[in-house]
Amino acid sequence: MTASPRPSPAQAQTQARLDRLRGRALPVNHNARTIAALAANPGCSRRALMDAVGVDKQQVATHVGFPAPFGQSQFAIARGNAFEAQVKEGGAAQLLTLLREHLGLDVGQAHYHDLNDVGGNETALVRHGRTRQLLTGAALSAPGEATGTMFDHPMLRLAVGGRHAYLEPDLIALQHRGRFHVVEIKSFAIIDGQADPAKVAAAAIQSAVYVHALRDLLGGDPGRVHYETVLVAPRDFSSQPTVATVDVRRQLTVLRRQLDRIASVEGLLDLYPAELTFDLDPDPGGRPQRPPGELADAIGQVTANYTPDCLATCDLCFLCRDEAAGTTGALGRSVRTDLGGVEHAEQVLGLARGTLPPSQERAEIAAQLTRAARLRTELLGTQLFGTEI
Amino acid sequence: MIAGPGYHRPVAETIEALERRIDGLRVAVREAVLAGDRALASAHRASLKRAEQAWEDALMTATAPDAQTAPHAQAASEPGQATHPRAREPAEPTGSLLPLREQVYEALSLLQVPAAPKLIATVHEAFFGATFPTSRVTSLKRDEERSFRAAPFSRPYYICAALSADYLAPSRGLLAISTWPLERRVIGSLSPRVDFLTAAIRVAEAIERIPEPPPAARRLLQRFAASIPGASSPPSPPATVKEAAAAELTVHKDADDRARGAAAARARPLAGAEQLFGTMSFRELAIRTSGQTAGRAAAE
Repeated sequence: MTASPRPSPAQAQTQARLDRLRGRALPVNHNARTIAALAANPGCSRRALMDAVGVDKQQVATHVGFPAPFGQSQFAIARGNAFEAQVKEGGAAQLLTLLREHLGLDVGQAHYHDLNDVGGNETALVRHGRTRQLLTGAALSAPGEATGTMFDHPMLRLAVGGRHAYLEPDLIALQHRGRFHVVEIKSFAIIDGQADPAKVAAAAIQSAVYVHALRDLLGGDPGRVHYETVLVAPRDFSSQPTVATVDVRRQLTVLRRQLDRIASVEGLLDLYPAELTFDLDPDPGGRPQRPPGELADAIGQVTANYTPDCLATCDLCFLCRDEAAGTTGALGRSVRTDLGGVEHAEQVLGLARGTLPPSQERAEIAAQLTRAARLRTELLGTQLFGTEI
Repeated sequence: MIAGPGYHRPVAETIEALERRIDGLRVAVREAVLAGDRALASAHRASLKRAEQAWEDALMTATAPDAQTAPHAQAASEPGQATHPRAREPAEPTGSLLPLREQVYEALSLLQVPAAPKLIATVHEAFFGATFPTSRVTSLKRDEERSFRAAPFSRPYYICAALSADYLAPSRGLLAISTWPLERRVIGSLSPRVDFLTAAIRVAEAIERIPEPPPAARRLLQRFAASIPGASSPPSPPATVKEAAAAELTVHKDADDRARGAAAARARPLAGAEQLFGTMSFRELAIRTSGQTAGRAAAE
């Protein structure tokens, strides 16, 4: 959206390089989901580079013939909004009850600031200004004169790759001990104290993004914002809300590393030829004209690190999966770890059947695979076919 | 226009009350036509037509107490309205004969604090036996503002906005009544909680006044009680809810009164329309950016 605050000559050079990579398209701004996705697969250079550049990955993926499979369901959005509206009804009455029980808020701490708009103005910049004013004011106020407890939909800002991403947590609560807690309201159920681990993980990383941005806003003091975030979700099969804390320290570390990596994108850029670009060559109507094969070649120059998790988070997932077909990595992280050093499924089968003579470093894994194949034959009474897996 | 929980069935309206309302609606139609507001005029006309029909029905019931054998010839003499008067009752269990603004007024008068359309609809359903889609309430506020700007203070009351204490702009999604003191219509940071507790007390009091409160009213009270410390474990009798809410209210009251008083003092010099519907500066800016200036600029 805006250029980085202090551009030096080196930075300007990097920026020119990034602009060239992006081509004629406008940079895509990040949001909590895309930043969370960054941290989901830290080993992927393709994603790191494209995100640093601000490439519209969805458009690129569509043009090379692998349109992204996702987008949130309308029903899920409606359900999420209804649940959020319910817990925030009447000055966030339900939420306040939960926070009182959980964070031990004093009865007097019932301030509620609605930051969805500022006097009817909903623009991100104005809301961010007001958020900064209120949150810093609340952080500095004396314990007895607290002016803020709950901040509904504050607007935070995080610099990602030289551009500002605006982030909107569901709610931020301030405890009487002067610590902020990020509150995330989700509509998936917590049944008998348990919730879908994948969904909790996604919520945790999203909350970590908010914690990071909030610490940034408050001058980088980690003590001001608690690493334990509050997850509010429906209890069991009812619409009654319940609350759980999520420790996001690990996610914060990954996120920080990934953001640093984007910030120091020069190192990554040096690995690729200067003429590399993801430009779509759009005609005056905005339709991409670049031959898809040429674009696919350009993408292919940057290595990806495909895992099945990418299917839930990255627009390029179908393209990368197609590329990764036949590799052990395409079967998931655990398979790749178990078969350390063996890249392709074909090689794995060869080693197991004994048709591929193992090199010295593969001797151990080859012995394990042969043993596994023997066990399988003993159990099923059939031989291992090349087409299987 | 009496806003007590005394009658919770619109069909129980007397002929005299209907006549008064018909007169009021005729005035409203005239005002709307003169103000050039066709949508409002047609809404009032529809209400007028319904009220007149209700008057006819009530008259018929009064003249023929044994309505089961009511004169069919009479009913049939009106083409297109041959329905039996009693047959209408069960067919419209959730509709009210009152215009929307009066239903909103009734509910707000019971609560005595600014409230969101959803709560207004729930309160009206619980105590007055009729509900309405909350989406209509949004356009109601717009209609009220237009009517006020066309002919200021020509109505006894307006459904207006609650004002945010910081910018004196309309507080998102909250409705109030123009006759309330300004202190009640401004919303500081503690006001949502204070108003929630006050509303709980009002609902509890209203339930106490009714000999046999409807289940919807009890459910509403229970929903309030669940979020008030000391009243959260069901069943919470109205007296317990009142006591618990009042106890928490004493904690917030002074700070809230100070904040509201200061904001009200700032709002007092504002012109009529801004005092009722909020200041324009920020809103105009926002409207301009979303390109919806035409209607409002014309209204000014």
